[in-house]
Amino acid sequence: MSDIQTSTHAQTGLLPKVGAFLRDYYIYFVLVAVVLLLSTANLDKFDLFERGNFLNKNNIINILRVSAPILVIAGAFTMLMISGYIDLSVGSAMSLSAVVYALLAINGVPFLLAFVLTVVVGIGLGAINGFLVVRLKITPVIATLITLSLYKGVALLLVEDGVSAIKSGGGLKMPGWFNGYGRSGIFLGLPAAFWVAIAVTIAFVVIQRRGVLGKHAAATGGNPTAAKLSGINTGRVVFLLYILVGVTAALAGIARSSFMSLGDPLSGDGMELTAILVVLLGGTAFSGGEGRVLRSFVGALIIMALTVGMLTLVPAYYQTLVIGAALLAAAASNHVITRKGRAE
Amino acid sequence: MMSETVPRPAPHTRRRMSDESFITLLVAGVAVGLFLFASLMVPNFFQVQNMINLVTNNWAVISLGIGVTFLLVSGNFDLSVGGIVALSGVLSVWFAQAAGDGNPLSVGLGLPYPLALACALAGAMAIGALNALFVVRFGIPSIIVTLGTMMVARGIAQVITHGSQRNTNLPPEFGYLGNLSMFGTSVKFAVVLMAVLLLVAVFIEKRMVFGRITYWIGTNPVAATLSGIDRGWHITKLYLFSSAIAGIVGILLASEFKSGYSNRGTLMEFDALVIALLGGVAIAGGFGSVIGMFFGAIILAVVTSAATGLVLSPDWQYILKAIAVFLAIVAQTWALARRNR
Amino acid sequence: MQETPILDSDGAAPVLRVDSLTRDYPGVRAVDTVSFDIAPGTVHCLVGENGAGKSTLVKMLTGALEPTSGTMQVLGRDYAPANPQEARDGGLATLFQELHVVEELTVQENLTLGMEQSRFGFLVSSDLDRRVVETLKAIEPSIDPKARVSALSVAQKQIVEIARAASSGASIIIMDEPTAALSEREVERLFGVIRRLKASGVTVIYISHKLDEIFQLGDMVTVLRDGKHIATQPLSEVDGRSELIEMMIGRTVFQTYEPRTAVTDEVMLSAEGLSNRLLKDVSFAIRKGEIVGFYGLIGAGKTEIARAIFGADRVSGEIRFKGAPVAASPKKALAAGIALVPEERRTQGLFTSLSIRENIPVMNLRNMSEAGLYRSGLERDAADDYVRRLNIATSSIDKHTEKLSGGNQQKVVFAKCLFSEADLLLLDEPTRGVDVGAKTEIYDIIRDLADAGKAVAVFSSELEEVLGICDRVFLLFDGAVQEEITNGPDVDIAHILNVVTGGQGAVQ
Repeated sequence: MSDIQTSTHAQTGLLPKVGAFLRDYYIYFVLVAVVLLLSTANLDKFDLFERGNFLNKNNIINILRVSAPILVIAGAFTMLMISGYIDLSVGSAMSLSAVVYALLAINGVPFLLAFVLTVVVGIGLGAINGFLVVRLKITPVIATLITLSLYKGVALLLVEDGVSAIKSGGGLKMPGWFNGYGRSGIFLGLPAAFWVAIAVTIAFVVIQRRGVLGKHAAATGGNPTAAKLSGINTGRVVFLLYILVGVTAALAGIARSSFMSLGDPLSGDGMELTAILVVLLGGTAFSGGEGRVLRSFVGALIIMALTVGMLTLVPAYYQTLVIGAALLAAAASNHVITRKGRAE
Repeated sequence: MMSETVPRPAPHTRRRMSDESFITLLVAGVAVGLFLFASLMVPNFFQVQNMINLVTNNWAVISLGIGVTFLLVSGNFDLSVGGIVALSGVLSVWFAQAAGDGNPLSVGLGLPYPLALACALAGAMAIGALNALFVVRFGIPSIIVTLGTMMVARGIAQVITHGSQRNTNLPPEFGYLGNLSMFGTSVKFAVVLMAVLLLVAVFIEKRMVFGRITYWIGTNPVAATLSGIDRGWHITKLYLFSSAIAGIVGILLASEFKSGYSNRGTLMEFDALVIALLGGVAIAGGFGSVIGMFFGAIILAVVTSAATGLVLSPDWQYILKAIAVFLAIVAQTWALARRNR
Repeated sequence: MQETPILDSDGAAPVLRVDSLTRDYPGVRAVDTVSFDIAPGTVHCLVGENGAGKSTLVKMLTGALEPTSGTMQVLGRDYAPANPQEARDGGLATLFQELHVVEELTVQENLTLGMEQSRFGFLVSSDLDRRVVETLKAIEPSIDPKARVSALSVAQKQIVEIARAASSGASIIIMDEPTAALSEREVERLFGVIRRLKASGVTVIYISHKLDEIFQLGDMVTVLRDGKHIATQPLSEVDGRSELIEMMIGRTVFQTYEPRTAVTDEVMLSAEGLSNRLLKDVSFAIRKGEIVGFYGLIGAGKTEIARAIFGADRVSGEIRFKGAPVAASPKKALAAGIALVPEERRTQGLFTSLSIRENIPVMNLRNMSEAGLYRSGLERDAADDYVRRLNIATSSIDKHTEKLSGGNQQKVVFAKCLFSEADLLLLDEPTRGVDVGAKTEIYDIIRDLADAGKAVAVFSSELEEVLGICDRVFLLFDGAVQEEITNGPDVDIAHILNVVTGGQGAVQ
């Protein structure tokens, strides 16, 4: 429509302020609510964790350990969605990285080199997505569906026929250091993988608040025409963000592979859904422009607390339903809170 | 009536093939070409039975592709169909299982068989209604909504089956529909149903007002609304229609295997999307056809079965799908740009 | 190159020189060898009726359109921008009606967008930040640089854009109808901003339909008419609105209106007290066989009235069609017998990737369907019929409508509406972007329709159009009907222009 008239009222008064406060901080209340709910629930029922409270130290360490992959991905994924793009291949890229990392390790490549090489693979996977979307101008959803299938296929092919994952056996043995990264506590009882996720999140918070990339990502998603008119190379911004998502997918793959002591070509399945879920839960608008890395991080904590905590209350087969319902609820509340979902 | 305009001779209708027919023909040509090529490469590929199998083995995905194609033409995704297949199958089993005490997975609601099927179908269509509610009413992008409902549908199936399957305590007639052979041949009822659905869909698409409205909405939603089309209601019908097909597919599969398995139909939504894209359906909306989707399915079937024939590991299918979709999109964009230059 | 630059009264070289600029469209010369200079540090107004060539001229200045011939110079250097980015680099910034700010960023972030100073990819505070904040403070101290742009009013967002243009070193800022969406108080503030800009040496090219604004603000005025340059002179030498209006309309002989005999007394549509966020208590009646005009400039509420009648927008008040209330949805309006030719042909009217044949039936699905079956034969016949009746120039009814000229596209949209067999046709800018030949044809069609007993409402910002075909005209300004006039040989054009540009009463 060519309507140029928009409301000219400046937003003053109490109600918008309450709205803004809710938009900025509701996620923390949700986290507190989820933790409170789970800690008052009766955990003896299934006895999957040590008896006691949800807020038990070991329980918390366990949740944070298994959360490392989604925590490390959330930041880059948020920035990508802020710029108005999406990456459905992130789960497959994670699986492929897990397999590559395990393959390198089992063939005697030392830790640091295996780590770096896997991250380089992640850069490559992100660059392929960036190339399809930016250069070939294939719609992001389709381009990353293509690579979802491609990366998954390569990951499956890297694992020998008849074996489900890269693991000790057949004359090869995983080196002793392999699961240290994802499991052994190095500080406060938490493993290196978790602290890497924290470091990456801090990096993205800083990039978003103080980095040129963060600002240009917001401009690209918020008003692409204005961004281009201001001389911003939006294609390069998007390309770079796809690479960053690729890198974090590789880090997530390393964390998952180390935690499970094997390179599972299906280990990242569904990660794209979890990533979208935590980003939407964190209040990032799907129309782009709006969003905060830190809120997605909290969103990831909520989802992990819920999924792990739920295991203590209901059987595991409730998980898909709860995640799906949470995705719909997050999308709907996101729509209400940001008022950005445009009925086209 | 328009008196002042000089009457000109009626423009002779030099009919050029539409872009859509052009792409459909292109896709069909590629399908046939690939089949011939595979026949050269793979021993025993060029057989009548093999040709038939290419279609009959894929009846489920092709059927799902019909609803998915209509929605894509209207400018919307439907990724929930795989989940609905699992849900309706599980529901049909659960509703039909005899009531009573015992192992929780053996005890159902004990509804009469036809009623059980009807209720399972209603359950499937409830997911379609949910899609429509979120997409039409709340204006949330269809890709996100249907990813969510895909999980909700499969999630409900998993809860009902406790994450595995239900296959006991079923009435004897339960396996009838899924294993019914028609016309004294080995052709299954499901395949015949797929063919009927295809014909009906092509008929709706080409010959009915309903089909036309779908194209108008996909081409220009704003102009469609200003031309008096109730867009929201039409998209609602499309989601219901798609979920109903997925429901029927799920019920037939459950009947064929006499079980309700919560992981059935996994990745079927992606395959349905893939064959539509291979068949030239544009995700931007307003372009594509059910016939194109059918030939897209043939392309995918030829590629995957030829790969199996070449003793490639089944894991190759993911890579082949990726390459096929990539080439299809690039080739179609290029062909259309050349043609309309 | 000019031998000796023409100096203005102060002896300063012009900041912008336009020399023999011409732009042709198929069948129309929109801008015809226009030459004028703009002196630095002035507010230079550009006026002219719709279709006078203002917007084409502005598009050439901003790099959105290439001139057919002629040159431009900025500060003595040749200036031929290929796109808005190059125009901005050349020192010419534009305040488009559509705002180019990023709502999600803060004011300061918007001001430095694309010009950030950084070290290792991180932003460092620099002179630039101080400078942009100072520029902003200088022109509008009340805006907090740390505030998010989404929290600002439209007026404040405009000021942010102006500040960005000013701090990026633009020497010329073009403002195209900047007050269309502003309240009176906000307009005052904007004017303050413009005066301060001028004081700091920036030149403003100001385009507005509201003549009072031009007298209040402008130093110089350039008048365009029918694509030609009429005058460039100081506003102090213009003797009031009436002289300016005279220059704008000249001795233009409008296509003479002939009173029509088919007008009846039977009311087809009546509207009582229509109000929404733009409309203010609009009431009118349209009779069978009548052609009624709604004439007003940008933002006066034409389109809003048309859309309200058609049920496309929410509105309070009462609309009765043939005596019965109309439900507020396009589908129901159409079913009742009201059809709309929307303002934007390509985005709202046509299905551009479909053929002529496939476009025509969409508004009359009842007729196209026989037990749900689509009547393709009827579609073909209808297309053949309308291509002939409306004289649509095409090689085939299967031609994609995106490949037709503007006039023929518009005829296809008309065909859509006519095929709906509606009794009331709402035509929003029915001849915008249409060449002269097609215009005349469209007017004939409109007259034939009314003669055949339909009612037609024409919503237009072209005076020539409404006075050429309408029996009665409602003059709109600021979302309200200001006056109703009956068309005839003695209608006072100057008076009409005065009313729709916000003047009070008649010109003395």
